[in-house]
Amino acid sequence: MLNRIGTIMAQAKDLNTHRLQNKERTIELAYISSLCDESKVSDFIIVPFMKEEEDFLTTLIHNPNFTELNDTAKWADTLLRGFVLISAEQRIFTLDAARIIRSETPQTQVETAIMGSQIALSEDLIDSINIIRTRYPSPELAVEETTLGNVSRTRTMLVYDNRRVDPTVLANVRESLRKLDVDFVQAAGQLERLISGRKRGLFPTMLITERPDRITGSLQAGKVVLLLQGSGFALIMPATFFEFMHAVDDEFDSFWMTRFLIILRYGAIILTILLPSLYVAVVSYNPELFRVQLAFSIAGSRSAVPYPSFIEVMIMLFMIESLIEASVRLPKYIGSTATTVGGLILGQAAQQAGLVSSIMIIVTSVVAISNFVVPVNNMSVAIRFLKYPLLVPAIFFGLSGVAVGIFVYLVYLADLRSFGKPYFRILGPTKRHTGDIGQVKPS
Amino acid sequence: MRGKGLLAVLLLAVLLLPLAGCGFKDIDKRFFIVALGIDAADEGKGFKVTLRLAVPSPKIEPGSALSEVKTIQAPTIAEAVRLAKSHVDKELDFGHCKVFVLGEKLVKKNYTDVMEWMSRRRDIQSVAYLSIGRPDAQSIVKIAPKTERYPGNALFLAFGVDGTESSYSISTYLFDFNRRYGEHGMDPVLPLIRKDPQEGDYFISRIALLDKSKMVMLLTPQESQLYNQIANRFGKSTIKATIEEENIVLAANSVSSSYKIMSDQDGNQKLRLKMKISGLFEEAPLGIYEKDWHKLEQTLSEQTEAQIKRMLVKIQKAGIDPFGFGLKYRATHAGNDQTWKTWQKIYPELEFDVKVNVHVEGTGLSR
Repeated sequence: MLNRIGTIMAQAKDLNTHRLQNKERTIELAYISSLCDESKVSDFIIVPFMKEEEDFLTTLIHNPNFTELNDTAKWADTLLRGFVLISAEQRIFTLDAARIIRSETPQTQVETAIMGSQIALSEDLIDSINIIRTRYPSPELAVEETTLGNVSRTRTMLVYDNRRVDPTVLANVRESLRKLDVDFVQAAGQLERLISGRKRGLFPTMLITERPDRITGSLQAGKVVLLLQGSGFALIMPATFFEFMHAVDDEFDSFWMTRFLIILRYGAIILTILLPSLYVAVVSYNPELFRVQLAFSIAGSRSAVPYPSFIEVMIMLFMIESLIEASVRLPKYIGSTATTVGGLILGQAAQQAGLVSSIMIIVTSVVAISNFVVPVNNMSVAIRFLKYPLLVPAIFFGLSGVAVGIFVYLVYLADLRSFGKPYFRILGPTKRHTGDIGQVKPS
Repeated sequence: MRGKGLLAVLLLAVLLLPLAGCGFKDIDKRFFIVALGIDAADEGKGFKVTLRLAVPSPKIEPGSALSEVKTIQAPTIAEAVRLAKSHVDKELDFGHCKVFVLGEKLVKKNYTDVMEWMSRRRDIQSVAYLSIGRPDAQSIVKIAPKTERYPGNALFLAFGVDGTESSYSISTYLFDFNRRYGEHGMDPVLPLIRKDPQEGDYFISRIALLDKSKMVMLLTPQESQLYNQIANRFGKSTIKATIEEENIVLAANSVSSSYKIMSDQDGNQKLRLKMKISGLFEEAPLGIYEKDWHKLEQTLSEQTEAQIKRMLVKIQKAGIDPFGFGLKYRATHAGNDQTWKTWQKIYPELEFDVKVNVHVEGTGLSR
């Protein structure tokens, strides 16, 4: 066996191969030491084998920790997942001795809630399943395992409530996972892009979350959850546009305030998408839309600006986007410096230098702030882009161009499907077990 | 293939760039006209157009309003406005022109040309206010009150509901004027702005009544208030009566009015106007609390009835119909040309039956 493994695997320092011998028989061991817990190897194999308290082959056959592997093609795979291969009497057995480096149970960092769960999903699949199972103690919880990626062989868990799940959606998800042909899968967002069907989609059609309470809530609503080894985020599908605007706090904070906050979020995304293009359209085409007073003060503050309104908007948007990007990329400790320098000094100076008008500073900050109101990060990023395409019709056609642009967005949203479910349905519940809009009713 | 498509789209976009052309004009490259005055030309035919241009400033505070006034004479208004463009450095924009002042002389002669021009130009808003200026539009437009926070503000506030609400003036929107201009059975009304020669500012306290082509008569401030009470059910107004040689003024809180056109047994048409006014005394002799309020109410009602009747007859004699009695008649009768002709015969002989019901809510004092 050892010779064959030597040929399968590339030259690797951490590939350990041993040939052990006691009075009765000889066995061969192979494992990758960096992936395995060596104490397990010695506890389960080397010590019992040397002590010879009972026949080691019987131990191999009867101890449930060992499983027999007949398929030679799977050797490399098993080794790479942290298993030990044991060869005794021409039979091959495996033992799970995987050692996974894990930090402590992580805290929620991307999607925080003040009074919600403070624990986030773990990067380790088993821990994540543990977190979900303890929160969803139902015998109906089904967990399927597959691997994705020809090279990465990422372990992936498909979790759903067997009784509540929509079978068409489930079939849909399985089918798209099966069809997946890609070498590496490393992040939940990457998988989302790969299986959503639209390679250049404007909106995410699956919710990415790190919150276990959001996951259990979705499971209960009959959704399918995908967990990835090595990623602390889960994919929830199908999703509608409105779920992205919903924070977990909305379920348990004061009723009226949360309703108000939901409305506020929609207002905020409308602002963040529309304001730059509306500024261009109104300032350059339809100044009569403002109240007189505002028109005069904008005209007054713009009089020092040498460039047309759209250049002004582009300068400021460029600045704010690089600021946001910088604060994401910078190490945490320097992050606040960047925002101070950029936000306070640049904004003030740009206006005083006459590069942009003071109204434009307000527009930019409103655009940036209201963008972060969206509770789910992948939607927030998607929405961040939406303002740019709208600028083009605003520059050429003014207000009517913006109106047409919004219409195009709405049509696109209405056309979107998330695993067969309408993405932008405002009215009507998502029924389980029956045909839905855009699907054939099962006969 | 894909690259080619993208290239084509890019090329199209580049071709579109020069098309930004004339529509795209930044707000600071525009001159906002805040008030426009139109007079008849001093000599000969034509018009004298006075534009009040706002000079924008980033600071808005009382007394800092700057504006420029340009006066141009031309055979037509459209030409005058085109000519005005050659006097200024920025594009003229009527988008914020909310006040149009027509010279009294012009309106007395014929206002139809002005009307046509205003309703045809697309950048003139239908919600602009229309008024008549005395002695002429130019002098009204030139006035810049000291309290103005931004150019034109004073006039906007005078007409809009944001600022003062005077029971002596009305605000006539361009669209309303347009409607009354074209409608059978309803004639236009406009407020009259007068210049105060001593103070150097203006005041609006009279309403001008017009027929389909020119100004016919002016109401006195008293009548203007009555008109407002009947036509617009204007609260925040007063009614006055003299009882035992003492003036009593009632501040109306609510005014309601309704009228009906009916024919009696002989076939004579009669207009019955019913009004209900309730309010508090604002000016009254001492000891009015002990007096019989019913009597007071009756006197107030009778005197108001007489005033209204006098005004209605005066308007009837002038042959105009600012209240829209004719429109009501047409609306409640068969919709053909005959109805309109009948009304034209009825109106000069129409009798008025005015019933005013004044209700006194209190003396205005807590005792």
